[in-house]
Amino acid sequence: MEDSDNHLFKENPTIAENNRRIRRLKKESGKPVIGYLCCFAPPEMISAAGALPFRLTGIPGGDNSEADAYIEPYGCAYARNILARAVRGDYDFLDGLVISHSCDMVQRLYGIWNYYHPLPYSYLFNVPHQLTPWAQRFYKRELIFFKDSLEKFTGQEITETALRKEIDSYNHNRTLIRDLYALRRVNPPLIKGSEMLNLLLAGGVMPAEDFSFLLETTLAEIRRRHNEQTTGPRILGWGSIMDDPALYRLIEKAGGSVVADDTCIGMRLWEKNIPLPGDLYNGFLEQYFIDFQCPRTDRGPGIKRFDYLLERIDQYDIDGVVGYIISFCDPHKFDYPDLRDLLKKEGIPMLLIDDNYSFEPAEALMTRLEAFIEML
Amino acid sequence: MGNSEMARANRHLDTTRKMKEMLPRFFMRMMERRFNNEPLAWCMVGVPPELLKAFDLLFEWPENFSTICASRLIAPHFIEVAETDGYSTELCSYVTNTMGYCKLFVEKGEAPPESPLPGGMGTPSMLLGSGFICEPRWKWFQSIATRFFNVPVYSSDPLAPPWDVDPRDPRIENHYLCLLREDLAGQIKFLERETGKKLDRHHLREILILSHQALAYWRDTLSLRKNVPTPMGSTDYFHAIIPQMYLVGEQEAVDFYREMYEEVKERSAMKKGIVEDEKYRFIWFGLPPWFNMGVFNYLESFGAVFVYESTYNVGDYFEVDVSDPLEAIVRRTWQRAVWMHDYGAEAMPEICNPAVFGGFVGSSLLEELVRDFKIDGAIMNLTRSCRAISFGEVHTKNRLAKLGIPSLIFESDMADPRLWSDAQIKTRLHAFLETVEKAKQGGR
Ligand code: SF4
Ligand code: SF4
Repeated sequence: MEDSDNHLFKENPTIAENNRRIRRLKKESGKPVIGYLCCFAPPEMISAAGALPFRLTGIPGGDNSEADAYIEPYGCAYARNILARAVRGDYDFLDGLVISHSCDMVQRLYGIWNYYHPLPYSYLFNVPHQLTPWAQRFYKRELIFFKDSLEKFTGQEITETALRKEIDSYNHNRTLIRDLYALRRVNPPLIKGSEMLNLLLAGGVMPAEDFSFLLETTLAEIRRRHNEQTTGPRILGWGSIMDDPALYRLIEKAGGSVVADDTCIGMRLWEKNIPLPGDLYNGFLEQYFIDFQCPRTDRGPGIKRFDYLLERIDQYDIDGVVGYIISFCDPHKFDYPDLRDLLKKEGIPMLLIDDNYSFEPAEALMTRLEAFIEML
Repeated sequence: MGNSEMARANRHLDTTRKMKEMLPRFFMRMMERRFNNEPLAWCMVGVPPELLKAFDLLFEWPENFSTICASRLIAPHFIEVAETDGYSTELCSYVTNTMGYCKLFVEKGEAPPESPLPGGMGTPSMLLGSGFICEPRWKWFQSIATRFFNVPVYSSDPLAPPWDVDPRDPRIENHYLCLLREDLAGQIKFLERETGKKLDRHHLREILILSHQALAYWRDTLSLRKNVPTPMGSTDYFHAIIPQMYLVGEQEAVDFYREMYEEVKERSAMKKGIVEDEKYRFIWFGLPPWFNMGVFNYLESFGAVFVYESTYNVGDYFEVDVSDPLEAIVRRTWQRAVWMHDYGAEAMPEICNPAVFGGFVGSSLLEELVRDFKIDGAIMNLTRSCRAISFGEVHTKNRLAKLGIPSLIFESDMADPRLWSDAQIKTRLHAFLETVEKAKQGGR
């Protein structure tokens, strides 16, 4: 393997940088850092309360042994890794923890984490599994409880003005991200999938204004690019959380171009803006619940639930889908057979990678990816 | 696999042995109605069984059907069929068992002949799911309706508060009660539409009264297991849940649980245990290995008995006013959430349970159980394919260790026997019995 790729299978080099940055920011601003998993609880709210939201990520292939003293070996290795890191003190800069009830695994993780390693602040954002009118009302009430709990912790009132300001900054970033995604629609795309994911990951751990700056400079630089990538089959990445660009890099190395995605840290967070002016709570409801395409939410039976994905496949002129499922990730494991059959019907080839959140063994993975991309 | 010496289990109570006659009668009645093309609902534990009865609806429990497939050793066959369809072995084996069954059913146009129970599960005309306990249950019926039976689905969503909020805070209480009420109303509207019948509240009230009577006997029976020697063990326990699932709200179920209570009470008075020489008293965590229920008898042969099980437990008494039967269902669900909360729900999944069977022991309840049931040790089935219920076993083990109680966690499953090896299990059980013996000698 080339030298430049050496980090891929170990610690993502940006993690150390991120941690350094957040520690510095915390010191400078005097603000508490609130780590969060999943996005049903709006991070805008955390910022508006005068805290620094920090999206927690793991280290694929990292050592999870510290988690064994608290949770069972069977379970999503990503979530286990997060707990192992918490136990090890990797997140020692955290003052609070917010977990949205997305899947079973993280919901359970919440209790165990704050039982054994309580932080000054913690909140489980409970989320119904359906989009019925009563589920939507529940979600909106949950927003109010979340707001109250944040205010109580930070001592800062979340005013309408502050919230609006945060939403405005996030909206700005959403627009920029969509602009970047638009540069992936062209052929060949102007930005690599791995680069895009790295950007989004960076955005999860920095204040919105800093992220805007990063996005703007990246956009300016990329607009100057001239078809730097070689033309390869256009790939969409689907599946469990991908908080490391390792797989995308492998796909790129195998000759494919990742131009779109349907995973946690990807397009689904940025597809549209929260309308301003407007009822902010309705805006959150739509952004983070109704339109947030996570398979844990029941959108009824039938393959219509994948319409958004077919649309994306069309928009981005996708040649093939690489599915990535972390072991024991029920929401995705359940959807796979239906999606596979649908894509087959639509004539879109799909490759499924079952992984224990390690991207190992890399050689075997590479062989499969190469064969798939060649076939495309 | 398939030829484990533990595949057969012996029960100790006359009452549970009598189920052999009682259940076939019930299934025959069901079959007759099925032939008349009456609507049939496939349901998940979590759907209030009393409601089904109130609508006089035919129903099947795929989860329970899977336990029967497992105990008849046919589950691996169905599971393999599901695997070839792309359903991962990591998915709940009740789910994969059902998916394999459905696939064969659809291919053949009728219940696969290898199915247990006369005629297997019939063609559903609706699916009634529940998100109670786990997330696979959301996806399960969605998948069935997408791939195999294109019928209407209603899944109820009984959320419960996390362990670190105060359920007695009126705002929190209201937050959850609103959801429970509206969700139940949605479920009833769905049932009224699909059955073309109006809910008869008076009838529902009568059913609830009978159902709660049966549960009260069940709870009192379980409490008698505090006695030394224990008058009842796990093989009877795990079978005795069935009447409450199929005959809920019927006098026959009340009679069954009353008889069971009387038998167990009499055994207690006579100090009649389930083994000659009761040496170790255990608590069981997790789902049982339905394919090898003889493991309980195997342990009994060394004087080890189970006096409490975490799964299918009914918990405390429901002090609910049934004058408004719908509010009663909501209230008992909430009451359970509050108990669970009080017992310590840090490792709990969704804990609201309108079906009145629970699966978890709150960590602060452990101390009480150890004392009242005179527990010497805990054995936990770490079910690979059901993480929803096995989650928290390590935590429970930690908590029990603080009380000086040793635990054994062994890795297996509830319906898929492929992880099981008699030799390995025996080695682990023997080592554990030695540990328990030492702990007892050491006087903890
Ligand atoms: S990867 Fe799957 S199982 Fe793991 S946290 Fe995400 S949704 Fe849950
Ligand atoms: S609780 Fe476990 S056994 Fe029951 S449906 Fe969920 S995963 Fe399956």
